[in-house]
Amino acid sequence: MVAASIPTSEGRHITTVNARSTIRKRPSEAGIALLISIFILLLISVVAIALIVASGTETSLAGNYRSATGVYYASLAGLEEARERVLPKDPNSFKNTAPANFLHSPGNTLAIGEVRYVLNPGPTENIANILAAYPDTEYDNEFGGGALAGVVAAGNRMTTASVWNRNPLNSLPVPGPLYKWVRINGITEQSLNLDVFPHDLVIDPKLVYYDGTNLNDTGSGSQVLEITSLAVLPNGSQKLLQYLAAPNPLNLPNFPAAISLAGNSANTLPANSLSYSGPNSASFNVDGADSFHNPFGSCTATATVYTGIGYTNTSDTSQANIKCCQVTGHPNNYLGTGGVKPNVLPVTMPPTLQTPDDYNKLVQAITQNADVILTPGSSTTPAPYTAYGSDLTAATAGMANTNPMTVVINGDLDLNAWNHTGYGLLLVTGNLNYDPDATWEGIVLVIGKGTFTGTKGGAGRFDGATLVAQTVDPGTGAPLASLGPASITFGAGMGGVGFYYSSCWIKNSLPTASYKILSFREISQ
Amino acid sequence: MTRATSKQQQQGFTLIELLTALGIFLVICGAAFTLLGSSQQRYQTESQVLTSFQEARLGLDQIVRDVNDAGFPPPTFTDGNPTHFASSPFAWSSGSGYAVTRCQIGTAGGGTCTTATDSSPGDFDLIIETNPNPQDPSCAPNCKVQWIRYQLQGTTLMRAMVDKGPTGTDPDVATSPNLAPFVQNVVNNSTAAQIAQYQLTHPGMFPGGNPMPIFSYTCDTPSAPQPQPPPCPGAGADNSPANIRDVMITLIVSAPTPDATTGVPRIVQLSGRGRRVNPNQ
Repeated sequence: MVAASIPTSEGRHITTVNARSTIRKRPSEAGIALLISIFILLLISVVAIALIVASGTETSLAGNYRSATGVYYASLAGLEEARERVLPKDPNSFKNTAPANFLHSPGNTLAIGEVRYVLNPGPTENIANILAAYPDTEYDNEFGGGALAGVVAAGNRMTTASVWNRNPLNSLPVPGPLYKWVRINGITEQSLNLDVFPHDLVIDPKLVYYDGTNLNDTGSGSQVLEITSLAVLPNGSQKLLQYLAAPNPLNLPNFPAAISLAGNSANTLPANSLSYSGPNSASFNVDGADSFHNPFGSCTATATVYTGIGYTNTSDTSQANIKCCQVTGHPNNYLGTGGVKPNVLPVTMPPTLQTPDDYNKLVQAITQNADVILTPGSSTTPAPYTAYGSDLTAATAGMANTNPMTVVINGDLDLNAWNHTGYGLLLVTGNLNYDPDATWEGIVLVIGKGTFTGTKGGAGRFDGATLVAQTVDPGTGAPLASLGPASITFGAGMGGVGFYYSSCWIKNSLPTASYKILSFREISQ
Repeated sequence: MTRATSKQQQQGFTLIELLTALGIFLVICGAAFTLLGSSQQRYQTESQVLTSFQEARLGLDQIVRDVNDAGFPPPTFTDGNPTHFASSPFAWSSGSGYAVTRCQIGTAGGGTCTTATDSSPGDFDLIIETNPNPQDPSCAPNCKVQWIRYQLQGTTLMRAMVDKGPTGTDPDVATSPNLAPFVQNVVNNSTAAQIAQYQLTHPGMFPGGNPMPIFSYTCDTPSAPQPQPPPCPGAGADNSPANIRDVMITLIVSAPTPDATTGVPRIVQLSGRGRRVNPNQ
């Protein structure tokens, strides 16, 4: 309180008081409502927090399950994409969509240190950085520390985009599976940490192959590819899955002879007997000894000697029809099992190839896995619907020994003046008219009309195996109840070098139905 | 000189006021603590349910992973030493006849994969054969395949993981001594009375009032291939552990104590599926 003295004329002083600080109104302090309110609020808060924590845990658990399941299937999607795209016949095959040499041509392997990646960046990620953002540590686990760095330094790492980053799927409004990369490489005993066949108790650094039964490091069969996929979800969940896969060839029957004539083995009628007439040429041979003409790759011929001309009908005139004329006139040109000359012997086809229905199933299976299917129609060729060599050339661009094709002709095929070499499996459901200017390395199946003809000259040959069977009436096309009289009718003046059995060419020309999963495992991280 | 000051009058509470306020306070406090107590009990019950649920969740994930990997590596991969490859993705007990003498899967009390002491593979028992870490540097070369067994004992799902033995070793005998608690409070194999009690509050569980198998199976049918593997007991001659393709897993877990407020048991059911990818042996 400040007081001021004001002098007056009378000499007195009047004292004033500052009123600002004299009156303070105190709040009422009665009641405990505030305390109770605070306490109840506190109580409710504790209960609410407890409930939130509990529901949060539950949400996390559900989310965890969803993540674990989602990332597993995302990774599996990567494995399946790679397993499909290694097939040459797949529309998105690496052969057509990846850089050259991403996968080597048939018969050649991915060497150790050659690593291939399929990259699948998300919409906001850069494909160039994906391997840096999600490094592949598993490769070094399998091949030793620093192995991947060595691969990169040697320039042996190749990459390609996933189908989700290519036309047309990249324009979809929905994102694809969330795998980041898929690695494809060869494997060794060392990387597997397994002693595969032969069990020499040595863990070799040699490539591992699959021969249809066993893994081996002897080079027998096809190379085993290791496919490894990493998936990462936005929340950080990761999963590494791994396949070992190998080509699964279409299961074709074993061919018992260089030329097999399959008929109704119970037939006794001369009209339904099998027949063969060969050319009168001293240089034309039918040889059942396993050989490998124009060899390539690692395959070597076996020492097995198969039949020259094999026929199934033993109760009719088939033998007489085949073993006559030009055949008996050139016994030394028909070689095969047991040194019998001319080598014309009865053979037995597998139980799965006895009836027309069995052969139709085989035709269907091959057609489903064919690279090229030609169905000559009346619009392009005159009746009776014949495909010509020119049609074959146009349809089989790229066919080579390193790229054998499975070619199906739904009709007749006339190879007159087709001066080329074919590789792979040739299936003709009509008549096959051969001109020895042509050579075919692989399997030739004439199943349907079951007629195989030829009259021209030339120096072509067949290496592999040939099978002729009649399942329909050649005149009407009506299906037969039992196999009919298949025939090979070469004119006496036909040229050519002949038919030679070749297990290597048979193996090389088998259509690959799929890549078989040999094993699967989840890699713990 | 005068000084003008103002003092506020401060009257005290009367006894009546104090007693009334105290009474109200005590009533509110009593109510509040009662509420807090019941909340605490509910929180504890929920915590127990969540703990059981989480434990079961982790267990389910592990079982699914093991089933997915079952059968690695296949026999075609290695030498003739059976400890280096999986003779079958799912092992079974057949005395010393493993892995030659095959049996039929023993679901719903049937099958022939049953001895006096075990029933694997069955509703509550499964032995997976795989190599979970083939590249483990500590066992190079040729890491041994493992037998991973899940078996329900009472209300505890046990797990054992042992190296596979040579031909003739009974997987049941080899794994039994190593079983350790894995998931607790599993009530799949409850008594009829307990199931009836559970069904009062969870009528959808335990269909037919029967115990709920933890493991149920589908089998490949090599003798007559089908697009989808059928349930194993219907798979005829193919009803063999070697043909198991899918393992459906159902875990029903309960909280250790009944709900503190209502007194009813709290149970949760989890389902999952593992699918063997490795080829048939």
